[in-house]
Amino acid sequence: MDFMVKANNLKYEYTRTFEADKETRTETFLALNDVNINIKKGSFVAILGHNGSGKSTFAKQINALITPTDGTLWVNGYDTKKEEFVWDIRQSAGMVFQNPDNQIVATIVEEDVAFGPENLGIESSQIRKRVDSVLEAVGMSAFKRQAPSKLSGGQKQRIAIAGVLAMKPKCIVLDEPTAMLDPEGRKDVMETITRLNKEEGITIVHITHYMDEAVKADNVIVIDNGIVVMEGTPKEIFVQVDKLKAYGLDVPQVTEVAYNLRKRGINIPADILTPEEMVGAICQLKLTI
Amino acid sequence: MIRDITIGQYYMVDSPIHSLDPRLKLIATFVYVICLFIINDVYTYAFSMLALAGIIAVSKVPLKFIMRGIKSIIVIIIFTAIINVLTTKGTHVLYELGWFTVTLEGVYMATKMVVRLIMLIVSSSLLTLTTTPIQLTDGIEYLLKPFQKIGVPSHEIAMMMTIALRFIPTLLDETDKIMKAQQARGADFETGGLMEKAKSLVPILVPLFISAFRRADELAMAMEARCYHGGDNRTRMNVMALQKNDYYAMAVICGFVVCLIIIMLVM
Amino acid sequence: MSIKINNLTHIYNEGTAMAKTAIDDINLEISDGEFIGLIGHTGSGKSTLIQHLNALIKPSRGEILLNGVDINAEKSKLKSIRQRVGLVFQYPEHQLFEMTVYKDVCYGPTNLGLSEVEIDQRAKKALETVGIGEEIYEKSPFELSGGQKRRVAIAGILAMQPDVLILDEPTAGLDPKGRDEILNAIDEMHKRLGIIVILVSHSMEDVARLVDRIIVMHHGKIVVTGTSKEVFGQAKMLESIGLAAPQVSYVMMGLKEKGFNVPQDVYTIDEATEVLYSMLKQVK
Repeated sequence: MDFMVKANNLKYEYTRTFEADKETRTETFLALNDVNINIKKGSFVAILGHNGSGKSTFAKQINALITPTDGTLWVNGYDTKKEEFVWDIRQSAGMVFQNPDNQIVATIVEEDVAFGPENLGIESSQIRKRVDSVLEAVGMSAFKRQAPSKLSGGQKQRIAIAGVLAMKPKCIVLDEPTAMLDPEGRKDVMETITRLNKEEGITIVHITHYMDEAVKADNVIVIDNGIVVMEGTPKEIFVQVDKLKAYGLDVPQVTEVAYNLRKRGINIPADILTPEEMVGAICQLKLTI
Repeated sequence: MIRDITIGQYYMVDSPIHSLDPRLKLIATFVYVICLFIINDVYTYAFSMLALAGIIAVSKVPLKFIMRGIKSIIVIIIFTAIINVLTTKGTHVLYELGWFTVTLEGVYMATKMVVRLIMLIVSSSLLTLTTTPIQLTDGIEYLLKPFQKIGVPSHEIAMMMTIALRFIPTLLDETDKIMKAQQARGADFETGGLMEKAKSLVPILVPLFISAFRRADELAMAMEARCYHGGDNRTRMNVMALQKNDYYAMAVICGFVVCLIIIMLVM
Repeated sequence: MSIKINNLTHIYNEGTAMAKTAIDDINLEISDGEFIGLIGHTGSGKSTLIQHLNALIKPSRGEILLNGVDINAEKSKLKSIRQRVGLVFQYPEHQLFEMTVYKDVCYGPTNLGLSEVEIDQRAKKALETVGIGEEIYEKSPFELSGGQKRRVAIAGILAMQPDVLILDEPTAGLDPKGRDEILNAIDEMHKRLGIIVILVSHSMEDVARLVDRIIVMHHGKIVVTGTSKEVFGQAKMLESIGLAAPQVSYVMMGLKEKGFNVPQDVYTIDEATEVLYSMLKQVK
C-alpha cells in the first residue's frame, strides 16, 4: 500500500522555560507519544482533538516544520529527519494555517500565490500559468489583482490554499483552516478542499473542531494528550458518543438524537450523520410496523 | 487625517508613466533630485519646472491630488521660508524689526528654497503615485543587487518592505479594535495631561506588540512552509524587462540633463 | 434596564464616494433581563449595531435610548454608558495587557474611579463568576490556555458590573469543550445577574438552546425577530440570506415531506429526542 504520510512510533518532546518563584524552570512535555498513523495517498483524513491535544504538532511534523524526537515520519516516502529532503517534503505536503491574515505575504493576491513557486525557483512563464490555473481552481480569479486585506476570511483562506496548490503538492495539510471563518466562508473552504480531493486526487489532512466537517472525510483520527485514541471511518467514530464527549469533542446533532433514542430502546441505527440519513432511517422503521 | 497624506500613495490610472519600468522611474527620480540641488538660476529652475509639469500631464494624475500631498506638509514649507528669510544676510534691506532684517536676498533665497522643496516633494510623490508598492520594492531590490557584494542585503530589504506594506492595513485595523476594546472598559484617551495620556497608551501598545509578535511568528512559519529560504535560487513571476517606451523615456532623461547643462553653460 | 432604538442609521464614510450604509433605519426594543441572540452573516451590520449600544460608534441618524435617555446626548456621560453597557469583542483575549490576571480585571473598575475596596470586590466577584480560581490571580494572562484567557477577558467587562452584556462571538476559535464552558458561564450569568445579554453567534444550535429571542440581520436591516420557533420556522428565508436553521429542524422538514405529521418547531437535541421517541415508541 502506498502511503502519503506514515508515522512509526512518532514521539515529540518539547521543553518550555518559564519563571516561577523568581527562578527559571524548564518542563518537558510529550506533545506526541508513540503515534502510529498511516494516511493513504488520495484520501481525505480529518484529525480531531481538543486544543492542546497534539494535533497541530502532528500537522507541523508533516510539513517538517518540526521533526520527531524519536520514531520516524515519512512524508511522500521522505524521512522528515533527513535535512536534505526538507524542501521536497514541503513542496509535496503543503500547509494551510488557521489565521488567514498571518499567512499571506504579498500585497496583491496573484503575487502571493506566486510566492511558493518563486521560492522553488520555477521559471517565470511557468509560474504565471500555475498562478492563473490555481486561482481558477479555488474560484478566486476575479480577485487576482486585489489587495488581500480587502478580502473576507473565507476568500483569504482560499488564496492561501491557492498559494499551496501552486507548488503542485500531492498532499495539503490544513490546520484548523475554518476556525476563524463564518459559516459561508467555512462552506466555501470545505467545498474547495473536497473538490481538490475528489477531482485532483490530492491527499487532504484536515484538522478541525467542527464535526460536520469531519463527517465528510474518508477517515477520522482522534488525538488526545499526544496519543491516537480513535481511528476509523466517520460512521465508526461518531457512534461512540460517550467516548468522544470524554475527549472534549462533539457529535453532529442528529447523531446525538439517534444515540438518545437508542438509549431509550428505539432500534435506530447508531451511525446516522446527516439529517437525510435520519429521515431515511425513520421511514425504514415506520415501514416495519 | 493619516489618509490625507498622498505621499507614498498609489494613484490607479493607465498612463505611459505608470507603465514604465520601476527601475527606470527610480533612477529618473534620483537624477532629477540631484539636478534640483545643482540648479541655481531662474532659467534652470524654469526648465526643470517645465519638465516636471510635462511629466505630470503625461502621468494623468490630477494636479489636485498632488497638491493635497503638499498641503499635508505646508507647515514644513512655511517654516523653511521663514528660516531662509530671516537668516540670509544681504545688502538690500526691505524691512527691519529689532534683531531681524528682511533683505531682498533673503526673500529671493526663501523663494528658491520653497520652490525647490515643492519640486522635490512633487517629483518623489509622482514616483509613488505612478508605481505600485510591489513594483517599487522589486525595483529597489534589483537596483541594490550590485551592492550585495559589499554586504547590502538587497533581497531581505525588499522582503521586509513588502511585508511591512502588507501588514500596515492589518495593524491599523488591529489598533482600532484594541482602542475600542479598552474604551469599552472605560479607558479615556482624550482628556488628561501629557503624562496621563502617555500612560493611557500602555493598554493599547502592549496588546498591539504582542499581536505583532504573534503575527510575525506565524508568518515566518507560513513562509517556511512555502519553501522560503531567502533570496538564493529564487525566481520571480513578473520579470522586469525594458520595453520600447522605457528606451524613449531614457532618451528623455538624458535629453533633460544635457539641456540643463547647456542652459547652465550658456546663461 | 431597557434599550430602545429609534430609526437608527449608520453610514460609513458618509458624503464620500466610499459611503456604505451599514445600518439602515433600525427600530428595536429590548426589555429588562432578556437574553437576545443576534445572528446574520459577516457584513450584515451586527458588529456596527452592537458598537452603537455603548456609544463606541455614533449614529448617522436616529437615537439609542437607555432607560429612556439618549446615550449620545451628553458626551461627559460616556464612561457611565460604557459601564452600564458592557461589550465583549471578538477574541477579547487580545486586549489583555497587565502583568497579572487580577490586575487586568481591575483595569475597568479602576477607570471608573472606584475605591480600592470596591475594585477588589468587583474583580474577585467577576473572576469567580467566570470560574477562574484564586490560584490563577497572580499568573500572567499570557500563560493561560485559550479558554481561560477568554474567560479572564470576559471577567474584565463583568467587573464593571454592567446592566447589559453584549458578547460578539464569544466562542470563536474554541474547541467544543471550551465553547461549552463559555456558553454555560454566560447562561449562568444571565440567570444569576438578571441582566440583558446579547449574544452574537454564528451557531444556530447554540442560539436555539440558549436565548429567549432571536434577531436576524441582513444588509443592515432586521429581517425577522422572535422566539426560536418563530425564526427557525422560516428555514428557507434564512438560507436565502446565507444562514441556516439547526440541523434537527431539517429532519423534521424531511419527515413532513415524507407525509409524517410531526411538529415543525423543533430545534434542540432534547426536543427532537422527545418528538421522535413518541413517534417511534410503538416500534420498540
